Amino acid sequence: MNKRILFLLLFSFALTYGQSDYLNYESLSKKLKEFESKSKFCKVKSIGKSSGGKDLWLVTLSESTKPKPALLITAGIDGKHQVGTQMAVQLIDQLLKSENLSKLLSEKTLYFVPSVNPDAMDAFFGKLKMEKSGNATKTDDDRDGQIGEDPFEDMNNDGLITQIRIEDVSGTYIESPDDPRLLVKADPTKNQIGKYLVLSEGFDNDKDGNFNEDFSEGVNIDKNFTFDHPVFEKGSGVYVASEPETRALLDFLYLNQNIYAVFTFGMHNNLSEAPKYDSKMASSRIIKSWLEKDVKTGELVSSLYTEKAKIKDAPKSPMTKGNFAQTAYYHAGRLSFSTPGWWIPKEEVKKDSSQVKFEKPKKDSVEPNQELAYLNWATKENLTNVFVNWTPVKHPDFPNQKAEVGGFVPYALNNPPAKYLEESTTKHKLFLEEFLAAMPKIETTTPVVEKVQNDLYRVTVKVVNKGLLPTYTEIGDKIRFVSRMKTEVVLTKNQSIVSGRKYFLRNAMQAGESEEYSWLISGSGKVTIQTGCATTGVKELIVELK
Amino acid sequence: MKKYILYSLLSFSFWSVSAQKNDSASQDLNGMRAIGSPANPKVPMSWDRYHDYAQITQFCKDLVKSYPNLVKMESIGKSYENRDIWVLTISDFKTGKIEHKPGFYIDGGIHANELQGVEVSMYTAWYLAESFQTVKFINTLLKEKVFYIAVTISPDSRENFIHTPNNANTSRSGMRAFDNDGDDLVNEDKLDDLDGDGNIVMMRRKSKTGRWKVDPKYPSRMYQVRGDEKGDYEMLGYEGIDNDKDGLVNEDNTGTYDPNRDWAWNWQPNYVQNGALFYPGTLPETRAVKDFVVNHPNIAGAQSYHNYGGMFLRGPGAAEDDPLFSRQDIEVYDNIGKLGEKLIPGYNYFILHKDLYTVYGGEIDFLCLTRGIFTFSNELMTSYKLFNQKSSWSRWDNDEFNEFDKYLLFGDGYVEWKTFVHPQFGEIEVGGSKKNYIRNHPGFMLQEDAHRNMAFTLYHAYQTPKLEIVDIKTEKLSGDLVAVTATIMNTRIIPTHSTHDVKNKIEQPNYITLKGSTVVVGMTVENEDLNLFTEQKYRPEQIEVPNISGMGSVKVRWIVKGNPSNATVEVSSAKGGLVSEKVSEKLAK
Repeated sequence: MNKRILFLLLFSFALTYGQSDYLNYESLSKKLKEFESKSKFCKVKSIGKSSGGKDLWLVTLSESTKPKPALLITAGIDGKHQVGTQMAVQLIDQLLKSENLSKLLSEKTLYFVPSVNPDAMDAFFGKLKMEKSGNATKTDDDRDGQIGEDPFEDMNNDGLITQIRIEDVSGTYIESPDDPRLLVKADPTKNQIGKYLVLSEGFDNDKDGNFNEDFSEGVNIDKNFTFDHPVFEKGSGVYVASEPETRALLDFLYLNQNIYAVFTFGMHNNLSEAPKYDSKMASSRIIKSWLEKDVKTGELVSSLYTEKAKIKDAPKSPMTKGNFAQTAYYHAGRLSFSTPGWWIPKEEVKKDSSQVKFEKPKKDSVEPNQELAYLNWATKENLTNVFVNWTPVKHPDFPNQKAEVGGFVPYALNNPPAKYLEESTTKHKLFLEEFLAAMPKIETTTPVVEKVQNDLYRVTVKVVNKGLLPTYTEIGDKIRFVSRMKTEVVLTKNQSIVSGRKYFLRNAMQAGESEEYSWLISGSGKVTIQTGCATTGVKELIVELK
Repeated sequence: MKKYILYSLLSFSFWSVSAQKNDSASQDLNGMRAIGSPANPKVPMSWDRYHDYAQITQFCKDLVKSYPNLVKMESIGKSYENRDIWVLTISDFKTGKIEHKPGFYIDGGIHANELQGVEVSMYTAWYLAESFQTVKFINTLLKEKVFYIAVTISPDSRENFIHTPNNANTSRSGMRAFDNDGDDLVNEDKLDDLDGDGNIVMMRRKSKTGRWKVDPKYPSRMYQVRGDEKGDYEMLGYEGIDNDKDGLVNEDNTGTYDPNRDWAWNWQPNYVQNGALFYPGTLPETRAVKDFVVNHPNIAGAQSYHNYGGMFLRGPGAAEDDPLFSRQDIEVYDNIGKLGEKLIPGYNYFILHKDLYTVYGGEIDFLCLTRGIFTFSNELMTSYKLFNQKSSWSRWDNDEFNEFDKYLLFGDGYVEWKTFVHPQFGEIEVGGSKKNYIRNHPGFMLQEDAHRNMAFTLYHAYQTPKLEIVDIKTEKLSGDLVAVTATIMNTRIIPTHSTHDVKNKIEQPNYITLKGSTVVVGMTVENEDLNLFTEQKYRPEQIEVPNISGMGSVKVRWIVKGNPSNATVEVSSAKGGLVSEKVSEKLAK
């Protein structure tokens, strides 16, 4: 009893301390355990430890211990995207409360890793808030042999690391014509002349001319995966797959061949628009485009996302090097989809783009537009604590210049208050249900048994994929760790195969595709035909030879 | 009185030297020592055999016990089957700190069937320790450098190769089981030693339609008939049966993956690079080595021993990485590689992807490109060694091994053909080369090649950077300001940083620091005669120098307040070691 009160106290303390309605690592762990204790379908276990020693929680929704065709939902890989973790947890919650859960789990299994990078959560809830993508690994961000020698400093003591702007003759930024709080690059073709230098908040501790270039950010797990790893880039790790989080997630993915597809709540989007096919990149030795049939699958899934689940207006967020979503497709051979999960509602963007009039958004102006849209949305929603207005501050590295501190509150742009997420989570749940319904279904014709002579029988059966999606990816046929379509005949004691293989392996079966198998079997009695693969489940038929 | 003390001191030190000499066992106890070999080693070894894991472990322990001031032994991790992966650290522990000495990393037997890499690694450790007192070059080498020798980095598989039935090519992998043929079953159809002799040899069957014949000169050898010649036999592959009755023989053996495709540089999945697993570092063995290398930034050179073919291989493993090797760096490889061709007749200096084949995710690329270490991989043994002449045949298709077997091994290299009744093939015959022939040296040739390869590697290690403060000058400027100028030279051919290293800042720069003086300004001297300098505004006392090239020098200058004669110039380089000189002492010289 006492213990429980203490627990509640601690819990509420954790919430107020974080000054956020998001889950931190402790409350996440507690929440997941709570799910487990409340539902017989929910199991929670750790698939490894982060470099900071935190558990990487795996939540399994399953009705039996036998693996069924499964989806893996991951989130919180890049520490800047805490919103994904919140949505993943909401999704589990909604599914557990859902009426058709047991029907859904009769055929499928759902795996969740809601926080692949739990170390990064600490920064989000830190007393001093600064955006941090990485885990707890000590990193030398500027590769100078010294670790963390030039961190940020909170110069205006507001507990937030924002930006510094300095009026300087060499400055290239000006106040945005749309909103003076925002800074944009001066465009000389529009007669704009630069006014500000823009730096992050802090001093040049080591006096090397760079500001805050090394606060030892740790390794961004979403830059540490194997596909197109950005070697030597900041945050990518001392080498590819150097981090325990990366290895734990890949081990789990590779060793559970029943995982049909991976969904990631993260910084990238390939759902509202399907990956494009590039024949040259798809046929080079190192494949860098989705294969043709997989692109078709991607288009179908994209239509489920935008049409069936009506999830619209997602921003374009292209894939980045060494991320999990691409590695799951190109290297592990699974369908892999990623979405930011939440973004600024569209109406706002429209209003603003009409204000901007005919200016075509170019590379540089895309971001400010997003920022502007966010500011307008935040104003409409009465959100405070999203932007720190520019206020003068003394900067020791610029003693004779006007310096101001201000800018977006760390994490604000990507991570809105939790109350805005529920609706989007519900839509994503709907999408998942649509996806599960479209997954491959192995069906067979009734086996035909012909008595050829005396004790010799010919058995023929046709196997069909009646789902809307293929049995697995086209690229999966290149990967030895992907379970292949197998059709096998299991004989009883006095029987033998006269013609036909004990089992046939074949490539992925597309939607609607079928194949016929036949065997000549000597000896009467029962034979069992098994067909399928890990991502479809195995169908079993018993045939009587007589 | 004083004289007496001096005398006793002298005699004491003489005594200790001679005691040390006794320790080193340099005396010839029986007969006469052959030049080049330790006469009466403390750890007696015979280098005409292949050692198993227990023997390797014992050898390491014995070496540590006999030479505690030269050899340390540590486990850097556990293998998949939980064996310790041993690393011997070899250096003169009494001279300098080992982490301040340029390091040289050696490993053997990543492909476990390539037995002799482990023996060469062990021989090197043994020779260094046993020769420290008697061979001046080795003595100096161990004072200046540190060797890290991972004798076997695939211990499970080596144990499997030695103690269970295999052929010359199996147990190249580790022991982790994977489904090789995509049927969801694991290790369900391994090789089978039909006659129980420990060797997996070939199966042949008399056949009217066969295209193979027995070589009349060497009955152990089968050759393929050409043109309209009639054959007598069909070949049925390696010894084995269809254990799972799926119509395939030996299709799922233990661990068909390649530990040398499990490294973190340009790693690619199995459809690009056969043998790759989930990600670089899927295996505990490669992970242990990677951690060790990353945690020893002083490693400046490396060697990974393989067989077969007689090659000194340098990277890169893939053609697209060629541009990462600068002209200066290639010159270093050329210098060492070309000397190697002289030291070991029959061996060639090659570029991996160009002269052998493409390797993605290989170990030498990890060492060289991820860590900036100058690395060679020697492919031990070549058919050249059989008769000391170049073979006119291709790498595998020749009868020299049969001829060598007949006249020098007296038939010990092959299992004679014998009949066997096979459950699927009926009456067959099994026979062929033993598992430890062809790829691995015959005993009497092993020690010589171990020594020659060691010599190549010691030359490579000798050429890792050696930094010397060759000159310190002071010059009085106006007021109480003094300019201190120091010249630092790298007296070996390997630079402190490869071009690729400098470009990507793999290792921290060299730091040249003036300690014990008030530094006002610091700068690198680009050209003293023409007055060209580059000032370093931050931390002027610690000048950062990105690279000191092989046989090259740098000059730095500080302007200090007051008399700097008590100051010290310190050069700290991850791969080049740590040296320092007092300004006053250098001036006095």
